[in-house]
Amino acid sequence: MYRYTDFDRRFVHQRAAQFRDQLQRHLAGELSEDDFRPLRLQNGWYVQRHAPMLRVAVPYGALSAKQLRALARIASELDGRADGPYAGRGGGFGHFTTRQNCQFNWIALPDSSDAMDILADADMHGIQTSGNCIRNITSDCFAGVAADEVVDPRPYCEILRQWSTLHAEFAFLPRKFKIAVSGALEDRAATAWHDIGLQLKKNASGEVGFQVRVGGGMGRTPIIGTIVRDFLPWREILVYIEAIVRVYNRYGRRDNIYKARIKILVKAEGKKFVDALEAEFANILEHDLDGSAHLLSDGELARVAASFAVPDGLVPIEQAKAVDPLRRDAAALHPPAYRRWLERNVHAHRLPGYRCVTLSLKRARQAPGDASAEQMDGAADLADRFSLGELRVSHDQNLVLPWVRESELQALWLAARDASFATPNIGYLTDMIACPGGDLCALANARSIPIAAAINERFDDLDELHDIGDIDLHISGCINSCGHHHSGHIGVLGVDKDGKEWYQVSLGGSDGSALARTPVAGKVIGPSFAADEVPDVIEAVIETYRGERSSGAERFVETVRRVGLEPFKTAANAVRRATAAHA
Amino acid sequence: MTMKFIDCNFDRWHEATADDSLVAVPAPEPFSLLGVAQWNAVRDSWPGDVPVGLALDNDVDIETLADDLPRLALVALRFPKWVDGRAYSQAHLLRARFRFAGEVRATGDVVADMLPLLARTGFDAVVLRADQSVATAKRALGFFPQGHYQGDLIEPQPCFARTGAAEASPTP
Repeated sequence: MYRYTDFDRRFVHQRAAQFRDQLQRHLAGELSEDDFRPLRLQNGWYVQRHAPMLRVAVPYGALSAKQLRALARIASELDGRADGPYAGRGGGFGHFTTRQNCQFNWIALPDSSDAMDILADADMHGIQTSGNCIRNITSDCFAGVAADEVVDPRPYCEILRQWSTLHAEFAFLPRKFKIAVSGALEDRAATAWHDIGLQLKKNASGEVGFQVRVGGGMGRTPIIGTIVRDFLPWREILVYIEAIVRVYNRYGRRDNIYKARIKILVKAEGKKFVDALEAEFANILEHDLDGSAHLLSDGELARVAASFAVPDGLVPIEQAKAVDPLRRDAAALHPPAYRRWLERNVHAHRLPGYRCVTLSLKRARQAPGDASAEQMDGAADLADRFSLGELRVSHDQNLVLPWVRESELQALWLAARDASFATPNIGYLTDMIACPGGDLCALANARSIPIAAAINERFDDLDELHDIGDIDLHISGCINSCGHHHSGHIGVLGVDKDGKEWYQVSLGGSDGSALARTPVAGKVIGPSFAADEVPDVIEAVIETYRGERSSGAERFVETVRRVGLEPFKTAANAVRRATAAHA
Repeated sequence: MTMKFIDCNFDRWHEATADDSLVAVPAPEPFSLLGVAQWNAVRDSWPGDVPVGLALDNDVDIETLADDLPRLALVALRFPKWVDGRAYSQAHLLRARFRFAGEVRATGDVVADMLPLLARTGFDAVVLRADQSVATAKRALGFFPQGHYQGDLIEPQPCFARTGAAEASPTP
């Protein structure tokens, strides 16, 4: 993991002190709500439906056990605290998001600067987790440990994190700006859906560079990012991104919030945008005072990369001594529940004798991505015991232990089961993505959590889930698409009509991962459904897939693409009750 | 570069006319602050020894003024709303790309908490919004005494290139 330098540590404390000053001026009436709002947003503080929400940055999803305990401490001490204004209404838990961050929903605003101090003490912050600025950099949850990795993205992510942190020129862009980086064959970071999507690669001579996409995004206008460079040498990445963001800052629309993302500029201007970007990039290097100061050196890359060497205490295991726990003869001896967990929650590792393990945050009676203070402490204990004190937050809203010895898998399984993290459903229907929705979010048109719960209840049979196989179900409570419904093989979108909650269902979307390589937005299968129809619709759609699939090996999304939407539409319409009259 | 806080009651600069759209042809009075259309009307006849400045909206391309910049003593960049960040890029271009050496002044909806951003993008003068405190604005400049990660107009070198800023060996 990245190790904070003295500079980094002082920096987050200085940021916390600056925020405390702003908060105090606000509470004293010297700083109006209008002027305070953009300042608190850039420290991660929203004001939601019921209470303030804190979004903590987990840079590229990497988290130490110590940091997770700091999050647990915020959940237990400040979130819905017993002597505070939200006592008894909620709190005591964190919510892990698709952007690998962690949110708290019931902290009183006067406590917000104390939360920032707790974070700073754990080398964490909420900087730029909200607001119209460059947000937390996201990446592959298996970065640095993935078996299919070409280049470890973490040093580049950290360099980007530092560069984008409190960048003075780019603090007030037309709209939020999200960057994702992947360095593996499989894209586990949905890079094509980001304002900037970076794919690390090596050219024929073995040099490292980036494929650069610009202008991806979800929301009202789902667009896949345009490839503007197929191979940008790694040294130039900061300068190139400076050029992208400067063109956007100057020419991005500010008259309409729904047309303000860079995707609209890229789409509207097309080649003119790319020409302007390349001209700006050349201008910086050729004409600007110290324009080449941000070209990266070998020394800087090496300095940052040194943090990402294997963790202290890692014991190398010789290939010959590595025992594949999934080997058929060995697996046959395992209890079925353990076997299932090995199949779904345990993943390949670049080192012999090691595995990555997903701790499922998708379980019955708990919202997707949620973890109580006690569960967070439990996960931190598992990380200390089995993963050299390190965890990851995945884009799919789970936790990952990246350094697990194969010989300890069974012990981990038992401990994870006791700590409620061993649901063997990774990649299955119930491993769904869902935003907090209308239960908590002020923007939402409809609730997501009860829909997720109803689907979870309907599909609680593991044999059935296994038969359905790999599928991405994504649920958003509104068109802002925090639940990534556009990229779901099945997408559910909450909409509001006449003050009531309705749900639009789309099929065939993809985030660009191996199951469906081409990232694309799903297509809506007809008028919205009532909330209580949604589980029936999902079931009807799934049954249609089971009937239509060419073999057990054909995945849901493949069947949808092969046979088209019609059979699914017909099946979905057949289960309408409340909405039958409109269909 | 020290930040100058402008008190409008004691400012030698004056707008030639409030409404740029009138395209009046202003007389060459010293310390006239002109709009772009006004400047275009007088740029060929404005005497070289009479100080003149330009007041720019934040959608003006600095590139279009490149030839005129050496003749200007002041460029005032207007923030229509303080959360509209276009003028930061204008200031950066003025200083870093076109080496503008005159005063770069922030006007309009300028609040105390913007000061670090203004200073780092090349502004050296501000007219604060009427309700803002100069003392608070000055204090806002002092929260990051060790500097920032990326280079800017105060410190062009990024943290990683500054000697001793980012220690080679991380602390436990």
